[in-house]
Amino acid sequence: MAVTDILARPFASWSQQKRQGWATILVAVAFAIYPFLTDDDSNIDTIANAMSYATLALGLNIVVGFAGLLDLGYAAFFAIGAYYYGIFTAYQVMPPWSSGWEPLAAVGLVEKINQGGGDLVHFTLSFWLALPTGALVAGLFGVLFGAPTLRLRGDYLAIVTLGFGEIVPIVARNADSITNGAAGLNGVKGPALPAIKALGFEGYSFGVNATPYYYVGMVLVAILIFSSIRLRDSRIGRAWMAIREDETAASAMGINLRNFKLLAFAIGASFSGFTGVYFVSKLQVATPEMFNFSVSSMLIVMVVLGGMGSVWGVVVGAALLQLLQTWILPRSTDVIRAIGESVGSDFLMAADLVQWTQMFFGIIIVVMMLFRREGLIPATRAQPKLDLEEQQADVKRGGFVNVDRIEKWNPGTGNALEIKDVTVRFGGLVALNKVSLTIPAGGVIAVIGPNGSGKSTLFNAITGLVPSEGSIKFEGHELIGLRPDEVLAAGVARTFQNIRLFPKLTVLENVLIGQHCRLKTLPFGAIFRPPAARAEEQGALRKALDILGLFGNRLSPRANHTVAGLSYANRRRVEISRALASRPRILLLDEPTAGMNPNETLELAEQIGELNAMGLTILIIEHKLDVVTRLANRVTVLDHGDVIAEGTADEVQRNEEVLTAYLGRAHRAKIEAQDAAAKENANG
Amino acid sequence: MTTGELFLQQLINGLNLGAMYSLLALGFTLVYGIMELINFSHFNVFMVGAFIALGVLRLMGLDGQIVILTGLPLVVVILVAFVVTMFSTGMIGVGIERLLLRPLRAVTGPAAMILTIGVSYILFNIILIGVGGDTRNFANPLPSVSWHFGEATLRLRDVLIWGITIVLMLGLTYFVQFTKLGKGMRATAQDPEAARMMGVEVDNVVGLSFFIGSALAGASGLIFGLYYNYAKVDMGFSAGLRAFTAAVLGGIGNVPGAMLGGVLIGLIEAGSSQLIGQAWADVIIFSILVIVLVFRPAGLLGRQAPNKS
Repeated sequence: MAVTDILARPFASWSQQKRQGWATILVAVAFAIYPFLTDDDSNIDTIANAMSYATLALGLNIVVGFAGLLDLGYAAFFAIGAYYYGIFTAYQVMPPWSSGWEPLAAVGLVEKINQGGGDLVHFTLSFWLALPTGALVAGLFGVLFGAPTLRLRGDYLAIVTLGFGEIVPIVARNADSITNGAAGLNGVKGPALPAIKALGFEGYSFGVNATPYYYVGMVLVAILIFSSIRLRDSRIGRAWMAIREDETAASAMGINLRNFKLLAFAIGASFSGFTGVYFVSKLQVATPEMFNFSVSSMLIVMVVLGGMGSVWGVVVGAALLQLLQTWILPRSTDVIRAIGESVGSDFLMAADLVQWTQMFFGIIIVVMMLFRREGLIPATRAQPKLDLEEQQADVKRGGFVNVDRIEKWNPGTGNALEIKDVTVRFGGLVALNKVSLTIPAGGVIAVIGPNGSGKSTLFNAITGLVPSEGSIKFEGHELIGLRPDEVLAAGVARTFQNIRLFPKLTVLENVLIGQHCRLKTLPFGAIFRPPAARAEEQGALRKALDILGLFGNRLSPRANHTVAGLSYANRRRVEISRALASRPRILLLDEPTAGMNPNETLELAEQIGELNAMGLTILIIEHKLDVVTRLANRVTVLDHGDVIAEGTADEVQRNEEVLTAYLGRAHRAKIEAQDAAAKENANG
Repeated sequence: MTTGELFLQQLINGLNLGAMYSLLALGFTLVYGIMELINFSHFNVFMVGAFIALGVLRLMGLDGQIVILTGLPLVVVILVAFVVTMFSTGMIGVGIERLLLRPLRAVTGPAAMILTIGVSYILFNIILIGVGGDTRNFANPLPSVSWHFGEATLRLRDVLIWGITIVLMLGLTYFVQFTKLGKGMRATAQDPEAARMMGVEVDNVVGLSFFIGSALAGASGLIFGLYYNYAKVDMGFSAGLRAFTAAVLGGIGNVPGAMLGGVLIGLIEAGSSQLIGQAWADVIIFSILVIVLVFRPAGLLGRQAPNKS
């Protein structure tokens, strides 16, 4: 960071956005004019190759960096793009000609050729058409490979993708009739610009000249950087990062895990398919060896070196590795040999560092993992410092501030949640035994009970995190059988007992993820940002800031801080904000005041009361009886999975079974003393 | 050959492969059981083991296929080769754990697994640069004693491989089930935190599991050499992937499961090579991996679901 800080100093008066914009333009212009400054075609060729690595690294970064899905067989999609273009331009697959092909011939996709024998069909797919369709084909294969495997935990996914990465070259090697086996497809057509007669343009064939490929590569890199950044800063990127950080919480916050993982796989694969078409058209040959594990692992090295999840980082990583392979190692070899010659050492004269390329890959991975796991250009930005005033936050009575910015709820009438005979089993253990509970719309119901009595399991059953039997109806709709994200979309949001925020994301991002199920932006909207998508994103941002603003200056100044660095109480507040952001109709709070000091507890209790006053129905698990007494209309007591008492806070505190199972002798004494004092007052 | 003889011959081949994969799978399973880590360096610890064995045999004057030993010299040579190879790869495993993985023990996420990919690369290139990438002939001092069942042949080599594998597995089972350290190991696998509080020295247990796993990988590398009569720098990849499949098939983290899975994968490979050709055997095996992971992630014998989260 230091170097960029120094470079940025003269431009300190510019906004960060302006600085980044100009820096990007400067880099782009430098790349655009470079071919005019050099007369060494091999340099241009090297950079063109580096560009294809950069596009691959960008694609892998979507899968590994954004979504946290460790794909070790990523080169498979590269191969699919490459063979797709190769098969449809080389002279390998040539079915016999029939009149049925004529419409395709008319649009230039096939031609009739004769190599002695009968007439054959030769596919002549245009490069420009192959680029987008290659991306599409690879994306489809991404879904195909992803669908059965994405349910797996991260490290299993790694090994399965490794297997897939190995199968694709094997298939390519053995399906001779289509791929020409180990020898590979030769004579893949290079791109050409069609002639435009009207402008007097004669057309242009790329041939073996590196410069046109260089410019195509540059455009591809630019497109993919742009798409990556746009996706990252959208609903979609946030969903991926949430999955990466904590799948369970992501699901509970309304993200459809399967769809978004598949989307990451498909988009990552399509970047790779894109590149495959480009790479093969440049080399004009496709062999199975071009796509084996060493390619996949080189891409992993690029992503690890640059920084997982960091768009510019992986581009730099790709550039550095290409520099290492084509310049640093050969030059160092020359230097070492020259030294060897001058000191007369045969050993040094025989040195060949280029052989060591892969050794350096291994060393880079190990060193980065040990000493700089976030990569050279980390994805998480430096956090703004707070001034003294912003840091200060007195514990204030009186609940929320700026409440008028939040839309009120209309709780409706009748029952919000009707839980009937819900049973949850873990193997032989019955964690919940035919629990029934009704939460009236607009009410506050508390669930208390000793640890292990099934309180959190009840929450998990309601929100679809554990399978359960019985019936849970929310505003008349059955929740059992729904996925956690569907439950959230229905209007049931929750917090977790042990706080499950997305630790590496900022406060704002966490709250924006809460809105996921209320937003609609899809990849197209995320990348091209039509007015509707832009308005939606701005609305979401405003809403998130309004919700954070409820807590006064506790969260607002920290909106751009990662939550990992927040205090415990603030993390609790962020989790409640995140749940509120989904605009729930009922809020499930799992021990919201655990770990807070008495003042903070009181403050939060008032705020929860205020949410209820605004019309939000609340179901709360809580151990602190004063909070329960203050808030709850009714209290349900669980013990060993059974409901043992139900009533007002005062009633359950006097219940014999509750005193025995949960509250204990001390509480009984306290209640008896209170009663005695009350009686004395009445008598006296 | 008749169908019966073919079956018998592929059974013998499959059991040899199975012995090799089982030993290799045990390393994956021990480390995964204790650290929930897929150790990619294991692939190439196996390969390095084969080259160490090659070197040891060469040091004892055995090079290529020329020298045939019998009686006591044969026993000594085989014993020395196994002991030295296993100890060396065991120490490599311990070194990897102590120097590189221990600093990452507290780090969540895929960092440790990615690191083992880097280590695997380094091991690969040490052999590639130091020894070269071409196929090396592996000494085979065993006399060509064989028994014939029709046209199916059972060689002394096969019996030796099975015998050594069974001895190693019995030893490991005894160790894990009945010794104090073995109990500590099982305790750590279940809950490292609780094990630590109960006085198990978790650091030692982790180091030990790396030592045992890597030593077995060394033995497996030596068996590869004896079976195929060669060693090559890229031999680790597909053998490792098959062994990993074996560990998953048996139930990763489960010691008898790895043994069973290894034998099954060996038999499946031999069978599918016979029926549809060697080239597609890999595809079959990886398909099994995917199918098992998707439909029965706990494997055949595993009780704990891998998706603990």
